[in-house]
Amino acid sequence: MTPEDSPQPGSAQASYEGNDQAILDEVVFRVRDLSCYYGDVEAVRNVSMDIIEREITAMVGPSGCGKTTVLRCFNRMNDLIEGARAQGMLLFKGVDLYDTRVDPVEVRRRIGMVFQKPNPFPKSIFDNIAYGPRISKTTRNKKELEGVVESSLRQAALWDEVKDRLGDSAMGLSGGQQQRLCIARTIATSPDVLLMDEPCSALDPIATAYIEELMHNLKQNYTIIIVTHNMQQAARISDRTAFFTAEVDLEKHYRYGVLVEFDDTEKIFSNPSDERTESYVTGRFG
Amino acid sequence: MAESFRQPFREELNLVKSGIVLMAGLVTESIPRCTEALLNCDLATAREIVEADAVIDNMSLELEQKCQQLLALQQPTAGDLRELLAALVINYEIERSGGLLVNIAKSLRRLYGVELGPRMRGVVTQMGEEARRLFGFAIEAYADDNAGLAAALDDIDDRLDRLHHQCLALIITSQQEERIERPPGVQLALIARYYERIGDHAVNIGGRVRYMVDGWRPPQADLPE
Repeated sequence: MTPEDSPQPGSAQASYEGNDQAILDEVVFRVRDLSCYYGDVEAVRNVSMDIIEREITAMVGPSGCGKTTVLRCFNRMNDLIEGARAQGMLLFKGVDLYDTRVDPVEVRRRIGMVFQKPNPFPKSIFDNIAYGPRISKTTRNKKELEGVVESSLRQAALWDEVKDRLGDSAMGLSGGQQQRLCIARTIATSPDVLLMDEPCSALDPIATAYIEELMHNLKQNYTIIIVTHNMQQAARISDRTAFFTAEVDLEKHYRYGVLVEFDDTEKIFSNPSDERTESYVTGRFG
Repeated sequence: MAESFRQPFREELNLVKSGIVLMAGLVTESIPRCTEALLNCDLATAREIVEADAVIDNMSLELEQKCQQLLALQQPTAGDLRELLAALVINYEIERSGGLLVNIAKSLRRLYGVELGPRMRGVVTQMGEEARRLFGFAIEAYADDNAGLAAALDDIDDRLDRLHHQCLALIITSQQEERIERPPGVQLALIARYYERIGDHAVNIGGRVRYMVDGWRPPQADLPE
């Protein structure tokens, strides 16, 4: 998204009065009245939220509440699904992500994603990390590429465990190591944002603790948005928490997701404003 | 549907609450007994009050342990978390109030044989009544999740504070007029202070009830730079 091929920031945000410029600078994603559809079915209705730079934002809520759909809007992953479309405003650093001039591949480089199940390529550890930089030709020679691989593995706290076997298959790593490899692979393309869709749900508590500590460290350089079913995890690691739930359209008889409450994580878990949040975080409502 | 999950945990929380209300009831009932014993120089009742405090202490320790267990095992959040944190602090406030009654009972032994004048008897009677009333309101607010009543306790406590001042003024004039010796004067001043502190504990309980019900926290004082 260079200035030449993208709309200029400013036009859309100018309509939002009363915003402090300092806050505006920190807002990575500005979402207003975002609704998502799969074909004719409305999956998420009217989500508005600001994602702040270098913070961890957690999205929690019961299954079918639309949190993963919203997460996938942030790097246009939903484009890959037939019939999926988004309506409303979604600005990434002031640029409309869904503008026709925006290149979705570039979007996904700047906004990386880590999935629920670790999905390393059936290649060597080195080649997994080098994959992105090679495709986008961001490194000029072998030495630079090796530098990126090492730094990415170090940031993902995996370097010491794999430095002597970079040529081995990534498939031989443990689940927790594979997930950190996937995080390293995402970091290797120098993204601004990491989207994580239940990154620990397939991991044991120790591997989970590793990833959580890693996220805490990565926060210094990256903006992180995580979808999690583990509420204690959201409470432990995130700065802000968004609670989504599913509502039923009584006329058309279908369920759609809504954002109920979005606030500081401490507020959500100690004194939420909405009764639906209270019921959910106290575990009284599935 | 909303109440259908975590029923066992809810029941445990209710047990903590009823335990605290029961313990507070023992303390509330002891306040008028203590006052009566004081006015009648009733040493037997004074001893009973001192001995009964061990029961309250044990209840308090058990409740604290129960709260700790629920925090560790159930990882409560939101309203449940506030309820448990409030229970922990209210438990402490009640235990301390029970301790103050023991202090009064012990002071009355030291006052044995001292004749209290009618005005002093009147002020002591009123302080006892006021402390009992306040403590009763505090526990009622806790038992009923009544944040409004809880918030009113601070104002209601003003009356007990005034009685405390009256009592001290009376002790000073009595000493000036040499109607009372210095050691019993000191004991009476301490007793007045103990009643006044029970009122403060009741006000503190009110603050925790408000926190429990709607997350209210007392405003922080401005400290000098």
